Amino acid sequence: MHAIEVNNVSKAYGAVRALDDVSLSVEKGEVFGLIGPDGAGKTTMFRILCSLLKPDAGFAAVDGFDVVSQMNEIRRRVGYMPGKFSLYQDLTVEENLKFFATLFGTTVEEGYDSIKAIYSQIERFKGRRAGALSGGMKQKLALSCALIHSPSVLFLDEPTTGVDPVSRKEFWEMLLMLKERGITIMASTPYLDEVRRCERVAFLDHGKIRGIGTPAHVLNEFADIFNPPGITHAKTTGYHNENVIEVEHLVKAFGDFHAVDDISFTVKKGEIFGFLGANGAGKTTAMHMLTGLNQPTSGTGRVAGYDISTEHEQIKRHIGYMSQKFSLYEDLTVAENIRLFAGIYGMNDKDIATKTDELLEKLQFADHKNTLVKSLPLGWKQKLAFSVSIFHDPAIVFLDEPTGGVDPATRRQFWELIYEAASRGITVFVTTHYMDEAEYCDRISIMVDGKIKAMGSPEELKKQFNMPDMDLVFTHLARQATRSSD
Amino acid sequence: MTLKYLIQKEFLQIRRNAFLPRLIVMFPIVIMCVMPWVMSMEVKNIVVDVVDNDRSTESQRLVHSIEASNYFIFNGQKATYKAALAEIERGHADVVLVIPQDFGKQLVLGRHPQVLIATNAVNGTKGAMGTAYLSQIVTANFMPTTAAIQSRVTSLTLYNKEQNYKLFMIPALLAIVMMLMTGFLPTLNIVGEKEAGTIEQINVTPVSKWSFILAKLIPYWLIALFVITVCLLLAWLVYGITPAGSVWLIYVLAMLLALFFSAFGLIISNYSDTMQQAIFVMWFFVVTLMLLSGLFTPTRSMPSWAYLTTYVNPMHYFIDAIRTVFIRGGGLPQIYHQLLALLAIGIGMAMWAVHSYKKNS
Amino acid sequence: MKQFLSFVIKESRHILRDKRTMLILFGMPVVLMLLFGFAISTDVRNVRMVAVTANSDHLTREAVERLAQSEYFTIVATVATPQDAERLIRSQKADMAVVFAHDFASKKAGVQFIVDGADPNMAQQWTNYAQGVLTNMDGGLVNSKMLYNPQMRSAYNFVPAIMGMLLMLVCAMMTSISIVKEKERGTMEVLLVSPVKPLMVIIAKAVPYLVLAFAILITILLMARFVLDVPLAGSLFSILFVSTIYILLALSLGLLISNIAQTQLAALLLSAMVLLMPVVMLSGMLFPVESMPRVLQWVSAVVPPRYYIAAMRKLMIMGVGLGDVMKEVGILLTMTAFFLTVALKKFSTRLE
Repeated sequence: MHAIEVNNVSKAYGAVRALDDVSLSVEKGEVFGLIGPDGAGKTTMFRILCSLLKPDAGFAAVDGFDVVSQMNEIRRRVGYMPGKFSLYQDLTVEENLKFFATLFGTTVEEGYDSIKAIYSQIERFKGRRAGALSGGMKQKLALSCALIHSPSVLFLDEPTTGVDPVSRKEFWEMLLMLKERGITIMASTPYLDEVRRCERVAFLDHGKIRGIGTPAHVLNEFADIFNPPGITHAKTTGYHNENVIEVEHLVKAFGDFHAVDDISFTVKKGEIFGFLGANGAGKTTAMHMLTGLNQPTSGTGRVAGYDISTEHEQIKRHIGYMSQKFSLYEDLTVAENIRLFAGIYGMNDKDIATKTDELLEKLQFADHKNTLVKSLPLGWKQKLAFSVSIFHDPAIVFLDEPTGGVDPATRRQFWELIYEAASRGITVFVTTHYMDEAEYCDRISIMVDGKIKAMGSPEELKKQFNMPDMDLVFTHLARQATRSSD
Repeated sequence: MTLKYLIQKEFLQIRRNAFLPRLIVMFPIVIMCVMPWVMSMEVKNIVVDVVDNDRSTESQRLVHSIEASNYFIFNGQKATYKAALAEIERGHADVVLVIPQDFGKQLVLGRHPQVLIATNAVNGTKGAMGTAYLSQIVTANFMPTTAAIQSRVTSLTLYNKEQNYKLFMIPALLAIVMMLMTGFLPTLNIVGEKEAGTIEQINVTPVSKWSFILAKLIPYWLIALFVITVCLLLAWLVYGITPAGSVWLIYVLAMLLALFFSAFGLIISNYSDTMQQAIFVMWFFVVTLMLLSGLFTPTRSMPSWAYLTTYVNPMHYFIDAIRTVFIRGGGLPQIYHQLLALLAIGIGMAMWAVHSYKKNS
Repeated sequence: MKQFLSFVIKESRHILRDKRTMLILFGMPVVLMLLFGFAISTDVRNVRMVAVTANSDHLTREAVERLAQSEYFTIVATVATPQDAERLIRSQKADMAVVFAHDFASKKAGVQFIVDGADPNMAQQWTNYAQGVLTNMDGGLVNSKMLYNPQMRSAYNFVPAIMGMLLMLVCAMMTSISIVKEKERGTMEVLLVSPVKPLMVIIAKAVPYLVLAFAILITILLMARFVLDVPLAGSLFSILFVSTIYILLALSLGLLISNIAQTQLAALLLSAMVLLMPVVMLSGMLFPVESMPRVLQWVSAVVPPRYYIAAMRKLMIMGVGLGDVMKEVGILLTMTAFFLTVALKKFSTRLE
């Protein structure tokens, strides 16, 4: 008997076919990956298997029970972590965990071993409310909540989006431990290293299965999508002498807690500066001070020639900003969003109109000029958001995890846009959890516990720590962290 | 000129919203076509029970004139006071009139026999007015001299000659329109941007505080003006009620109230994190302001400590002034001090609102 | 059972942690009770009166004196012509005027009241009172008796209404928001997939609000009795019995709304539009149902608080027994059964 059996399942929302005649089967105790671009139908698949949605056609069974008629049996046996799994923000870390433990009929003590690796990182904040945790910390707590019980089949919908590489490794080690206990796992992920850890993967695209097999096989067959050729970037060294960001002894304290603890660095004009760090290392806080959203507690900094504590409104005139959390107004169309932000930076109607057409032409979005942003796929939104953030030719653009949750091919296109901006002299200040992207940067800094632990070009860093790739450099440094939250 | 783009954005978002355009159209219609009928505190249809222990020609006459009155609904005669009281307890009657034994005989003898009027006074106004009317009928029937004196005391009702409750309530409804359109909607809008995180994106742009706030408020002010115009037109078309004073003063007053409500909403949205919080806090204050404003009950009847609060209650100034203009036909000289008070409160609140909104923390 | 308890504890934490909402939930009854008990009244009091006298003879002066000494009126000015008086009324310096004719002294007649008719009820009452003071109605034929509320305090009328409104607000609005919040946040998916029965999720959600509703009910009753001096004439048992039915009804309405609404905002607006507005407008809370046009009376017949408020007025203020409110109780029970069935039927154990 297969742990998961899917036969010719279809599901449509109105005219959109989310799943189109999908069949697959998963063996008991297998770690099965579900991969594919945003909107491919992965979440629908999970929901059908968890008996949250009824398939329009076809048959699906989990642990031998039909998802339509034997709903109660299914719900007794599966564990599910939805994509936008959210905790109860007003409950503390411990209360959240306890609640989910009881919900699944177990206790924190019983399940402690299976979550120890991740939960121990946040355990000392167990009295803190979930709402006060940083994004990555929340994700870790969510993981702990999902793994606290031992179901016979576990469904994980993009469980590690926004989580730093070190924690992702720990998470997958935990999954492999569960597998040894005979638990079947089906997970979706945009990270290639995670895909490779699965025993088999299915590549889902536009509701259809394009291929099933070992990761190596599938990734190889669809190499153009999953493993696009690296980007060659002529690293310009010509005019790297003018500093656009200068930071000295910058500190941001919340009470006793120093989220950013005495950092100093400079970024030169036209540089692509990667700002790396584990969840809760203080990246976002530092970025908020540079963009004039927060006042520093002490220290000085100049961005585009203006002081960050006194001239923050002038700074805002010369920067662009794109955050992963929000990029564009979802209820406005593509053209309306461009027009709004261009207007805010003081461009006139005529310039906006011509530049909008040029931009949409370049992005091959011309057909979607009047489409609501809400209905665009995630990758498109992010490309558009980036283009909008540099529409007014800022001196510097700040990108906060711009490519979270996006497939490799789209991420590559995104980086082409970044290179093009850099070639126009725009300085790029970017945070990311993808270590392949870190390699694309001219220079990177790695933050640990509010301090900058390493800085230099990727080559220099690899040489300095004597490691073959950035992933290992990062893991090496991040594991030295003694605190794990901001 | 960034204001232009921001305002355009707000209008687009309002238009795209599934709910708001419908609200903006339906609201004035419901407010003007249903509320005046509902918000009538007119006392009518009082149900009377009569216990006639006399059964003389005089008592019959009294019963007939009650039956004939269109103010009362005659529910019938009951055998005993106790039976009638049971009717009141069951909610079938409001007033009992008890005519004593030998009522007719006593009257003929020139004595003053007393009838008993027992009223359900749970609703005080209704009880008081029912008693007063019923006493008048009794007096008119059997005390010609008193009736004559009373009839020589004439009364002249000014402004609302037909004693039309709708005329009294319609200007007050404008206050409710302003409260919803310029108070609640912008507040929800701003807290919504906060919850969605879009406000962060705006905060890293060079948009000034003023443009951002104005861009949020201006669309709702315009909508409020539109809604008020529709309301005034509907009042005229449906009820034939038009303002006695000048229309532009009504608009000036409405705009001043809009200033207050907008500022107030902004302050609340700046201090709240979720929509639920914002709505509850806003609702709490608005209900309190409204109850103490004289919209439903006369402020003069309040105890003095409560009356003191009306000096800082913008709703009170607005209701006072708009009724003076709309019903009494007053002009600028009659309402200038309410105008000044509204303006002062509005500006004070606006300064607090702008101060409490921070782009950089 | 353990799961159920932990659910209830979690739900109570949500409520207790949101300090501002808690403050409003308990502040609202207290403030409303104080306002309606002390501040809001339709008593005739402090009416500003202008005396218009052509000549100041003894009798006229005496009449003015009598008005001034009554507890209802204050004479704010004495002017010569009715036009002057009208000007004062228009600029809101006075509410009414009493005009004495030239020959008032000789004929003992010729008095006219000029009254600001903007508020028809009050205008009517002011003239009635003024007439009473001037013509001195003693020795009349009428002995009137105000049943249940001898001092005619507005609080007697409003306390049951406040209960009707707040219980609806707490139970229906708060429950629906808290359920929809889980849908919006995605936690509902996890709850549904968990082995816990969906029905238990719903009951566990309702329990804290039930407790909260009772806490508010008791706060109101205690305040009514000891702060506002409103007698609780009926038996406490029947008051609690009818309130329990009403609270259950409100909870089922909240559940129903949470089935329909997808976002918190929608739930908020829906409960405000479908519940709060009709409660305030059509339940007879502020505006008597019998004064409304027929059509609106029919509409108000399906507004549940109408029956609750009517029953509470009878039980609390008039002190009748449970037998006299059977009609209201029957209707409330039927409505509860109906809404609860629909809500539970509609509660989907899947996402669609």
